[in-house]
Amino acid sequence: MKKLDIRLLRMIKHSKGQFISVVVIVAVALLIYMLFNVTSINIRSAVDNYYALTNLNDIHIQLVKIPKGALSELLTIEGVKTVQGRVSFDVPLQVENKDERVNIRLISIPPDEEKINILYRLSGKRAKLGIDNAFLLEQFAKARNIGPGDKLSPKINGRVHELSVSGIAASSEFIYLMENEQAIMPVPEKFGVAFVSEEFAQSVSGYGGSYNELLVIVEDESKMDDVIDRLEKKLDKYGVKRMIERKDQLSHNVLIQKMDGVEKMATILPVMFLSVGAIIISIMLSRIVQNDRMAIGVLKALGYSNLSIMSHYTKYVLAIGMIGSFIGITGGLLLAGPFSQLFAVYFNIPLIRIGIYYGFIISALILTSVFCILSGLIGARSVLRIMPADSMRPEAPKSGKRILLERIVFLWRRVAFSWKMVIRNIMRNKRRFAFLVLGLALAYAINTVPLFEAEAFTDIFELQFGQYQKMDYTIEFSRPMNKQVIKDLSHLIDASIMEPELKFPFELKNGWREKTTGVIGLPRSTRLYEFRNSQDVKVTLPEKGFFITEALSKTLQVKKGDRITIKNFVPGKDDIVITVSDVIKQYLGANAYMDIEAMQELLADQQMITGVSMKSQDEVKEKLKDVYNISAVNSVADMKNSFMEYLDTMYVAIVFYLVFGGILGFAIIYNATIIGIAERNMEFASLRVMGFDKKDIFRMVNRENFVMTFIAILVGMPIGLGMINGIINAFSTDIITFPKIIAPSIFINAAAATIFFVVIAQLAARRKIYTMNFIDALKSRIS
Amino acid sequence: MIHIEDMCKVYRMGDIEVRALDHVSLRVDAHEFVAVVGPSGSGKSTLMNMIGCLDTPTSGRYLLDGMEVSSMNDNQLADIRNFKIGFIFQGFNLLQKLNALENVELPLIYQGIHARERMERAAEALELVGLGDRLFHRPSELSGGQQQRVAIARALVSKPPIILADEPTGNLDTKSGADIMRMLKELHVKGNTIVLITHDKEVAMQAKRMIRIQDGKICDDRAVV
Repeated sequence: MKKLDIRLLRMIKHSKGQFISVVVIVAVALLIYMLFNVTSINIRSAVDNYYALTNLNDIHIQLVKIPKGALSELLTIEGVKTVQGRVSFDVPLQVENKDERVNIRLISIPPDEEKINILYRLSGKRAKLGIDNAFLLEQFAKARNIGPGDKLSPKINGRVHELSVSGIAASSEFIYLMENEQAIMPVPEKFGVAFVSEEFAQSVSGYGGSYNELLVIVEDESKMDDVIDRLEKKLDKYGVKRMIERKDQLSHNVLIQKMDGVEKMATILPVMFLSVGAIIISIMLSRIVQNDRMAIGVLKALGYSNLSIMSHYTKYVLAIGMIGSFIGITGGLLLAGPFSQLFAVYFNIPLIRIGIYYGFIISALILTSVFCILSGLIGARSVLRIMPADSMRPEAPKSGKRILLERIVFLWRRVAFSWKMVIRNIMRNKRRFAFLVLGLALAYAINTVPLFEAEAFTDIFELQFGQYQKMDYTIEFSRPMNKQVIKDLSHLIDASIMEPELKFPFELKNGWREKTTGVIGLPRSTRLYEFRNSQDVKVTLPEKGFFITEALSKTLQVKKGDRITIKNFVPGKDDIVITVSDVIKQYLGANAYMDIEAMQELLADQQMITGVSMKSQDEVKEKLKDVYNISAVNSVADMKNSFMEYLDTMYVAIVFYLVFGGILGFAIIYNATIIGIAERNMEFASLRVMGFDKKDIFRMVNRENFVMTFIAILVGMPIGLGMINGIINAFSTDIITFPKIIAPSIFINAAAATIFFVVIAQLAARRKIYTMNFIDALKSRIS
Repeated sequence: MIHIEDMCKVYRMGDIEVRALDHVSLRVDAHEFVAVVGPSGSGKSTLMNMIGCLDTPTSGRYLLDGMEVSSMNDNQLADIRNFKIGFIFQGFNLLQKLNALENVELPLIYQGIHARERMERAAEALELVGLGDRLFHRPSELSGGQQQRVAIARALVSKPPIILADEPTGNLDTKSGADIMRMLKELHVKGNTIVLITHDKEVAMQAKRMIRIQDGKICDDRAVV
């Protein structure tokens, strides 16, 4: 081993605390990079395999009714490869606890083997579906602890049927199981799917010999739009309600968004970590070079070139990079397996192959090398300036210039002596201070993100179901009814407010942009809905025109005053062009709202309603459980409970982020303190000689760090706000729009977390002050 | 004032034992001006560390102003240094970020003296060393001799019973060095107890008593006239 390399090892040993802390930053950066990227690839490829294996539909069509015989006609459409019809409807499921509302979607399976959306049978593989049995979706079966042989009691059109569970199956259509777009999160114990025979489904639902849903596989995905156009024309007479491409399919959409989120984090977090690592490395190395002035001078005098000396120091950084990379990459690869499995279990993907992706290892190494070498060269560049003759003399003291504040005599006089020391010390190296503040501000900003998410989720719920929608229950009818039905309901239920609703999914079109969404008709004088526009001004439904949500206005690229087309699937009714009267806030789901009478006239039938919303303290569920023509009774209180359970899982993510922010904060403060102590050895030694004890000096260093932390928190606030805005834009979907509600508690709690890690770092650095040999320091150089 | 009895200081460097002070006994009375002289490695710096309460002996006793300090802990020693000893170093050891006045104020801060009184006393001390017109100058704006005078003012400001000067002229040119020695002599005349550590016999001869140290032992101790 070369002498210089031995020296390198000694250097590492001497600065092991700092060395380890930067290695940890690099390791965490690469761990996140590898773990998140590999997991995402694993999941994506597992999902693709799963889709291919089960032949997931390219297009899912919901329509009023189509006879079985019409399907062969569809196969003649250019670009259509396979078509499969099915009957699908949601019904309440009777469970032991009578107060519990559980819905189940019954989906028919063709009598011969299914060609599209093939079930992945986990048990009961050979069982045949008849009129008294069903396959149950895995998530629901697990959540409710239902197994083969158990009975299901769906209540269909007022009659309870008994189905025995013949097997448990997973479905690529329901990887992420959500009841509809309005659902915030999966609640598998409240909503499930059972696959039944076509015979049974058709006989109990009144769809004898026909279907209400079609699954289509296309020949060429790139020609999807053309195929959809042709299908629309062909199916117009059957009343197409919705035509959903795979990319818009609920489960697939959520899954892809989650994976996109993971990949975004896989880039942003490592870059942030490596940037902070680079800042620390360059400061640390410039300090080491400063300390080694004399040794560098000697080496230069002996004939070593600038390049060979610089490469010696760059090796130190490379050692950090190599060890950090090794730990990070290995850790990332080792964890990627279990992490992918965890994701697969969470998303109910039955098959997963864990791969090693060498491309990521190479890009991780390149990324680290670039960061490390650059920061190393920046840190060690002062080597070039050291002249052998100069280096033999003790280093000239840094001149203590007056700082700006000192010139404002009036103010400066009022600053306490100890604070003067702190301020001057900070001002002595402004650039470094700025970098450290920036690094710490990033750590702080990382902390704000999960806190915002937790806050936003709670606010979304409170706003949506407290302010914007004030009902206690919404009741859906199993078929459109005459509005007179409200009278019947008011005899059954004691409600303070009861309002009719007319809700249908329609396709809204603005030029080539289109979106199928639920259009809801409400009385203009509604007391259960409150509409607020983007400026947060309360607005009332117009007589003509309609309101759309912010999310929808973004998707369709329309604003107030624009006109858009509503494609009407109701046979005999024409498409209409309507003005967007205002863009309103809605955080869950993306709907359009219009006056119920106008909607009845333009899009449906006079007097028609599809549901009722009400404010009531009555036993609504109990009283309506045996009532015909009611398909669902949704209670806001139930939704709130499910939501609270979901929030618990959020806290895991919050802790995860706080630890990340904490590691950065710790490393910055620890290194800054250690470097500061090394630089100010003489100063502290002088103070010690004059009688200041260790605690006094520790207190002084603490003050500086806290000033830095305070400024970093101030700087971190806009950065955090920027990150939060990024999250709002990146993660707002048709299902959830994040409200831009910036609660002070986010920033206060993030500050508390940052301060906590700063305190830990201070305590870790305290030992250096307590073990400082001030006698040696006094002799080492001229002040 | 200073009463050292049979003091030893042993350093260990791996297997090698270095006896920096070897059964040293010494007595310095109030108002004395003593120079400790010896070549490099003789043990004079270790002796100064002991006298200055910067280090603790391996064995032996040390009574400073009547107090047993050899067994005191770190914080107690810090207190002793603050109240009993004024230090003057070869390297001045001034804080570059502070101006002359603030540097001199430092020992008083530790004593918890009020800001106004602190400033007055510091200004007075600087006046005494002839720097009344340089109160707000930074060390970098002062010559070496002036910096050492600031260090002397700092050593004097808390009125300690002993002034400990470690090679105070070591980094100065001849003229500035002579100025500093004149100042120390004046301080002695005014009643201060001064212990001067130096390797320079010329400088040591300006004290009133010269102690020679070699190989960790006092080998000569006599008055200078």
